[in-house]
Amino acid sequence: MREWQWRGFKVVQSIVERLPRAWAYALAVFAARFAWWFSPLARPRLEYNLKVACPDASPVEIRRLSWLNFRNHAKAYADLMMLPRTRVVEMRPLMHVEGWEHLEQARAIGKGVMVVSCHMGSYEVTAAIWSSTLAPVTFFAEELEPRPLFEWYRDTRARLGISVLALDLAGLRKVTHALRDNELVITAIDRDITGTGRVMPFFGRPAPIPTGPTALALRMGTPLLPVCVYRLPDDSYKVEGMPLIIAQRSGDDDADELRVTQQLLRQIEEFIRRHPEQWHVPHRIWEGGP
Amino acid sequence: MKVGLVSPYDFASPGGVTDHVRNLAKALTHIGHPTQIFAPSSRRHTDSDGTTFHRIGTPVAIPVNDSVARITLTFRIANQVQSIVQRERFDVLHFHEPLMPAKPMTLLRLSTTANVGTFHAFSRSNAGYYYGRPLLRPYLERLHRGIAVSEPARTFFSRYFPDFPLRIIPNGIDTSVYRPGLSPIRHLRDDKVNILFVGRLEKRKGLGDLLRAYELMRSRVTNARLIIVGDGPLRGSAESFISRHRLPDVVMAGFVPNFVLPRYYDSADIFCAPATGSESFGIVLLEAMACALPVVATEVPGYMSVLEPGKDSLTVRPKSWAELGAALVILARDPELRRRMGAAGNEKAQRYSWSSVASQVVEVYEEARVAARDLVESNVHNAV
Repeated sequence: MREWQWRGFKVVQSIVERLPRAWAYALAVFAARFAWWFSPLARPRLEYNLKVACPDASPVEIRRLSWLNFRNHAKAYADLMMLPRTRVVEMRPLMHVEGWEHLEQARAIGKGVMVVSCHMGSYEVTAAIWSSTLAPVTFFAEELEPRPLFEWYRDTRARLGISVLALDLAGLRKVTHALRDNELVITAIDRDITGTGRVMPFFGRPAPIPTGPTALALRMGTPLLPVCVYRLPDDSYKVEGMPLIIAQRSGDDDADELRVTQQLLRQIEEFIRRHPEQWHVPHRIWEGGP
Repeated sequence: MKVGLVSPYDFASPGGVTDHVRNLAKALTHIGHPTQIFAPSSRRHTDSDGTTFHRIGTPVAIPVNDSVARITLTFRIANQVQSIVQRERFDVLHFHEPLMPAKPMTLLRLSTTANVGTFHAFSRSNAGYYYGRPLLRPYLERLHRGIAVSEPARTFFSRYFPDFPLRIIPNGIDTSVYRPGLSPIRHLRDDKVNILFVGRLEKRKGLGDLLRAYELMRSRVTNARLIIVGDGPLRGSAESFISRHRLPDVVMAGFVPNFVLPRYYDSADIFCAPATGSESFGIVLLEAMACALPVVATEVPGYMSVLEPGKDSLTVRPKSWAELGAALVILARDPELRRRMGAAGNEKAQRYSWSSVASQVVEVYEEARVAARDLVESNVHNAV
């Protein structure tokens, strides 16, 4: 994103944050239609990824899924743009949780919780509510370009009690502190952003997958909680927590990392299979993709 | 004792009086006095931290005292107020800014119980008080006891109503919420020295001076970061100043909810309060001190009633951004001085805990009840 695009984003954002939620979504869907028609690379990449995740889907079905995907992602962007004026108390009734007991179980261990997910749904809403009711939340996420956009993204989340740490050494150190203080760290493992992932089967095809969260969990004894957040037809949010994965050390750290990450990945695959219309990764995951 | 707290200000907008009312209600309930709140609100669903809340009237924004007061101006709330007052049968009605139209005045007129008023405001002058004295005096006479939050607030009020005695009871601070050692906003904790500003972005809070001071100090302390918490009418011009002067490392956090705010204090190294005047107390100073932050503030009367310069703070003349910048440089370069001042501030903040403030307020309630009873008896006696 260039400087002028960032400025454009700010103008649109300042309009969207003042709109009622329904209007903001209507505008988002309108913009999504243009993006879906005219995106030169994002749509082919997304459709390629969806085809890998849903091999039995026909081209027409993939096309429908990609449109719904753009639509849901645009709504998630609208949520993000509305964050500066969002109040947690108003968001709370919009979140429906399933598997809460897994989160409570993880918190009771007292070694922090590594919430592992994929690029799906509006995580800000969930994180903001957890931050106000449970414990401080940290996002361990990619650094966006340009820098002002990343700073806006970070400052906007911070006012809801969410820390945003970049995927670097300093970020890793702070994540360790957060886990030591029994806080929640949210990260996604369906895409290798730093280029340091290990190749393993993802939907049956080799793909580089980040093993950082598992490595941390193994070192600190932190429970891993697979979580999926998705949008319901009435634009409320569903949060599904799965049973905990406790990373056990066997003496071979490399093998442990691989084993536990694959275990997590099977869960992530399941989330994506159930809600492919919400899994938005318009990037190259597998070799040979556009 | 059943207590009703009455605030004239929009309960959905952040502000010193609103925070005071919210916390006092919690503290009174905690020590066994069921409390309810009456205030206008711009939102249908207003968060009152579990206290029973009566939304009375819709607020409108009125420019007052270099700021904007969101109050309700309609007097057509009498029926609603009367039915609540008759139903609830309060032992004490505690009015905050009791001479502010229209809600406190309406309630005061209809109240048949012991009435206590707290005066928060401070200004150089007040035309409303000056010209409105003959109209306001009958309302004032309905108050059985009065409280001022600081010496400047009392002096200001006594200038117009010298015969009405006020006891000083300061604002309080919840030292279990505002304390050192909370989880910081982690991406703000790095090798930079964080300077924190908390307040509505309006002229009297002096943000313009702070931005100039920050520009000045950045050439001398390159690892400084300015964190601005709050929203308001000057947000646009502050952002434009930052962009025009290419000020690096400025975080515009916007409005931050109460449950996150203490974590911002715990992410900072220095707290700066550059108000230009018209502050009667400055709750933000107490919040910062409770979180063991050293303070750089302007020498406005309200702030000086809380601070001890040299011990817990460095103070400069209002609107003097060069001095403000110099004070920030001194503290930014000296971690030991920051630690010492922070510790002194933290020790002082313990004296302002809400439990201590609430018990002083309850003493005033008892006095007001006795005064109200005596007044009724003397009226009966005169009638006989």
